[in-house]
Amino acid sequence: MTRPVRTPAGIRPALAVALVLTLAAGASAAWAGRDWYAAAHDDSAGYAVQRDEALAAGEQAVQNLNTLDHKRVEQGLDLWESSTTGELHKQLVEGREEFTGQVRAARTVTTARVLSGAVTELDDRAGRARLLVALRITVTTPDSKSTDKDSRMLGELTRTDGRWKLSALGQAPVGGTAAG
Amino acid sequence: MTRLLRRTSARPAGPPTDGGEAPEHPEETDDTPTEAATEATTEATDEVAVDATTGTTVEAEPTAQDSDRSGDGDGEIPTDEDGGAPADGAPRGFPATWRKVVLAAVVAALLLAGSALFHGAHQLRSTPAARNHALTDAGATARVGGDVGEGLARIFSYTPTSDDAVERSVGTVLAGRAARQYTDLFAQVRAKLVEQRVTLSTQTVRTGVIELDGDSARLLVFLDQTSRRDDARQDRATATSAAAQLTVTARFQGDRWLIVDIKAR
Repeated sequence: MTRPVRTPAGIRPALAVALVLTLAAGASAAWAGRDWYAAAHDDSAGYAVQRDEALAAGEQAVQNLNTLDHKRVEQGLDLWESSTTGELHKQLVEGREEFTGQVRAARTVTTARVLSGAVTELDDRAGRARLLVALRITVTTPDSKSTDKDSRMLGELTRTDGRWKLSALGQAPVGGTAAG
Repeated sequence: MTRLLRRTSARPAGPPTDGGEAPEHPEETDDTPTEAATEATTEATDEVAVDATTGTTVEAEPTAQDSDRSGDGDGEIPTDEDGGAPADGAPRGFPATWRKVVLAAVVAALLLAGSALFHGAHQLRSTPAARNHALTDAGATARVGGDVGEGLARIFSYTPTSDDAVERSVGTVLAGRAARQYTDLFAQVRAKLVEQRVTLSTQTVRTGVIELDGDSARLLVFLDQTSRRDDARQDRATATSAAAQLTVTARFQGDRWLIVDIKAR
């Protein structure tokens, strides 16, 4: 009498524990898997990566375009052209001849250091971004006098072939609205 | 009949070692799923070790298995089970123990996979790029830019008649180091401003959020500052504009962003 009742009752706790344990493990694995999938396919993560890439490329390009040594003009201007695209690139290529002459005549060495930069707009799909850069430019004249000038610039970046390049660059205007 | 008995009697042999710890798992996973996943794996690996050792002892010595079984059964197990087991228990002990080992391995594998995925997800979320919410959180980015830009324009603007207003707004814009810097600086400048009847007006030209992580942010701000000196003859006012580039550290306190540090660039 006792055996048919007792034996299943003896199984049940162990079986239940094993079952619950397996289900719990399975559920936690499934939950973690979903969590991982969500993190791996998070749009904002990709957007954040693009933002950081745009900033790094933009800061480097702005620095490149404010660096030029009269002894290595060709090399410097090659770098300018490889850092730019679109309208800005076109302007640089067209004005290269004339500019080379000017720099060789002035015999100046210009170096730049990016103090700080920030992306203000980013269109991930269109591949366009805008950034602010605070820059310190040092110009050394032939008589070894160097002057520092702090500059603030607005740049526009365009992504071409997966790389961010400057398509526009200019000084942020000062005192535009102030009446003299 | 004996086979059925063997199985049913063999089952309770292993689990009591599991049974002591096992009920914790479901509760933990319900309360804090994240911690439970990692804790559970460490426990699970322990269990596997326990099972594995019992498994090997069971395989090596069938008699030891029997003494275990009778002990686990609380002494109430009918005598014919104990009597029947030694006869054919040894060769048929394998499937039951293997089943337990496989089950434990499956549970361990699931828990390991779960914690690995959880860890992976955490890693993906904690990259420097992902932690920085500048632009990715458009609302928060606009908010901090607005608060900081507006605050800077307010505290760096000054008219001889608005002395108190500037003083009052300092508390709602600045905090910490920036507040001390500003108070020191302004104490020196104020006398001169009053004496020369200078009006300072500051506009925020551009604001860029460099980094935004929770309640702390770093910004690059371009400012235009126009100082105007009113001569005795009112129509001859002279104005000069100056550009300023600042990197600002801000912290969200209460209901708005306060500037805690300012560096001129």
